[in-house]
Amino acid sequence: MKSLVCLKQVPDTETQIKVNPDGTGIVTEGIKYVINPYDEFSVEEALRLKEKFKAGEVLILSIGPDRATEAIRTALAMGADKGIHISDESLNNSDPFVIAQALAAAAAQTEYDIIFCGHRAIDDDFGEAGAMLAELLKLPQVTLVTKVDIADDKTKAIVERDVEGGKETVEVPLPCVLTSQKGLNEPRYASLPGIMKAKKKPIDKKTAADLGISPEPKLRSNAYSMPPERTAGKKFEGMEPPDVAKAVVQALRNEAKVI
Amino acid sequence: MAERFVSRRNLEFLLYEVHRVERLSAQPYFSDHSRETYDLVLDTAMKIARDLMYPHLQEMDQKAPVLENGQVKVHPAIKGIMKEWGEGGWIAASMPYEVGGQQLPTAVATACNYVFAAANFSSTGFPLLTAGAAHLILSYGSDDLKETYAPRMLAGEWQGTMALTEPQAGSSLSDIVTRAEPTDGGYYRIRGQKIFISAGDHDAAGNIVHMMLAKIKGGPPGAKGISLFLVPKNRIKSDGMLEPNDVTVATVYHKLGYRGCPITQLSMGENDDCRGYLVGEPHKGLSYMFQMMNEARLAVGMQAASIASAAYYAALEYAKERPQGRKISSKDPLQPQIPIIEHADVRRMLLFQRGVVEGSLSLILQCCTYSDLSRTEDVEQSQRYALLLDLLTPVAKSYPSESGILAVSQGLQILGGYGYCQEFPLEQYYRDIRIHAIHEGTTGIQALDLLGRKVVMKNGQAMRLFLEEVGAVVQEAAQDSELSPYAERLKGALDTLGQVTMRQVQFALQGDVETFLADATLYLELFSIVTIAWQWLAQGIVARKALDAGCSPLDAQFYQGKIHAMRYFFHYEGPKTAGLAARLMEADGLTVNMTAAAFDD
Repeated sequence: MKSLVCLKQVPDTETQIKVNPDGTGIVTEGIKYVINPYDEFSVEEALRLKEKFKAGEVLILSIGPDRATEAIRTALAMGADKGIHISDESLNNSDPFVIAQALAAAAAQTEYDIIFCGHRAIDDDFGEAGAMLAELLKLPQVTLVTKVDIADDKTKAIVERDVEGGKETVEVPLPCVLTSQKGLNEPRYASLPGIMKAKKKPIDKKTAADLGISPEPKLRSNAYSMPPERTAGKKFEGMEPPDVAKAVVQALRNEAKVI
Repeated sequence: MAERFVSRRNLEFLLYEVHRVERLSAQPYFSDHSRETYDLVLDTAMKIARDLMYPHLQEMDQKAPVLENGQVKVHPAIKGIMKEWGEGGWIAASMPYEVGGQQLPTAVATACNYVFAAANFSSTGFPLLTAGAAHLILSYGSDDLKETYAPRMLAGEWQGTMALTEPQAGSSLSDIVTRAEPTDGGYYRIRGQKIFISAGDHDAAGNIVHMMLAKIKGGPPGAKGISLFLVPKNRIKSDGMLEPNDVTVATVYHKLGYRGCPITQLSMGENDDCRGYLVGEPHKGLSYMFQMMNEARLAVGMQAASIASAAYYAALEYAKERPQGRKISSKDPLQPQIPIIEHADVRRMLLFQRGVVEGSLSLILQCCTYSDLSRTEDVEQSQRYALLLDLLTPVAKSYPSESGILAVSQGLQILGGYGYCQEFPLEQYYRDIRIHAIHEGTTGIQALDLLGRKVVMKNGQAMRLFLEEVGAVVQEAAQDSELSPYAERLKGALDTLGQVTMRQVQFALQGDVETFLADATLYLELFSIVTIAWQWLAQGIVARKALDAGCSPLDAQFYQGKIHAMRYFFHYEGPKTAGLAARLMEADGLTVNMTAAAFDD
């Protein structure tokens, strides 16, 4: 079973994000980066498939600046076999369409039975790259996947996905693109022996030119801003209870506009 | 609850900038490692601590282990934690490749353990004891014992313990009475009682392997007749199956803190069918056990510092958010209240915590670095580092333990009434940290070890090396105009320590050992303040250099904070040396000469 896992390095969920003074992006100094949690589910699922079929390969594909190597290395320490790091200034901070193009071009140069993407990245929250990638590769795709069963002959997968209020089970022919959702599995931690082995595993560096693409984004972000700070609550004091109740109801209706 | 329990930035500062662990890669044993490995190792430790260990901190305290039908039941999370420590390679982290270890420098492995212990101290007792016990078997056990026990312990399947204390023999191990009677079957028959055995029995491990001290019948009296035995809870039959080995759990103690880990009383040989396997040679058990004890003493210091770290970050978070009162200079009640971190006295308490936490951690990593450096093939250098480690082990065990109690107490104080309540973690940290001044040799025992043994050993050679090491830092700091006043202070304190040492040793030379060691604990305290000041000055030097070389605003803030904390330690803790020295120079045997009856009133 050969799995291609698309992986993005994102700021740790515990990092406090600040917008830079000119509003063109976030302050990156001091940020701790991790593997996008949804991509971690992908890595784990790919490792389990390899273990189940007792053969195959888990290939990690990531786009990003030099530091993205750390995320690939972490996936290798979890047990993945090889990495491809697409490192090209023209691709950093680009839109999902460009990312999908690069992923598709890199995928076209590899062999795979299945492609995993996280259903979205927790930093920009687009949730588009997986779908676009499937489209560009002309592959079927299933989104928000929470369970994967691959037939022994590796021709199809029975996949469970989240739908509002329940689950949907679908059958999809391989190769396909699956986007991972929370609940798919509990990702393993890297192990110390895994970390030592990961040092020796190959990471192939590629540029946009190597992939034969010249990316032209379809999206341009104009400005970043922080959500407004939460304003202080309002106290109703020194009134009789019936009057307080009236005042609160009025405030909820007229000021907060929630009832 | 506060989510932050350690500072990753500070760990990196101490490992890479102050103690420069990357230089260890020059040694063959560590040559496969680099900063890249260490960073990934630390990343993983932080993740495991945060996701697997920290979430159970409170519940493990509230649902303490129970004894049911002769079996101790622990919190169900322990099983998963032991498994992860085993399969992830954390138990064997610094052991050689041949036994399945990763040859990680002790400094880096200890930094990871510090992260784990800060997240959930109780849960680290299980794997750390297992690591120490396995290391003991691998160092002194027969091939058979090594092959049978070590792999399953390192895999986290079987629990290791250290079984030393008995009802009538705690600090005085020479008085143990557990008996070992030789048989023709390749084992000894064990009879006796052991108390306060951490992780002495529980249902998260498939077997419990006690490293037990006992006396072989007919052996010499006292410490010279103590032998080391491996006594399993379940022994292995010839078909490989386990059968009970006549080790009974008599009690699981109800404790002030450290409640996630069971502390048990064990009874061996009630049916005269408890088998023990001799480790190493007869009557040499205590010297073997010192390997595990010394490792455990450093681990205790590390754990105490880690709890104090968790308490610091919880108190800091509260201090930044809790509005209370106004600046003393502005009492206008119409002005909004200020967060309590704005009050000088709260800052003093926070700085005291930092002084203890970061000073202690630096000393522990210093000791670990000495241990790692002692692997050098240069015999003279190797001995030098081994001696320094020997000398400083009682300090690295007791300073974090004793001062950690005070530091956590100040953290609790910052929270006021909330600090005393279960809604905040401080009260648990306060209870959890208290054990460290007791187990693995009480503070009093550490003091006797330092003054009675380590300072005077080899004609004071270790002490001379220590003075050299501190002297080198003093000299370097003296070159920096901002640090030179602190270099001067440390030099003064070092001279005082030298005079006090001479004064004490005089009594020993005169044969008055009672007076010599009567105030050993005060001597330990004086020695510790000097030692921690040395570690702070070393940190100050690195911070000053980094600021001079130019760095990012975020780094500059970090280094300036370091220098503030260093200055705090010198100005607030440093002066305590004068009072301690004054008392120690008196050396009048006040406590020695008093009669016990004078206590009754």
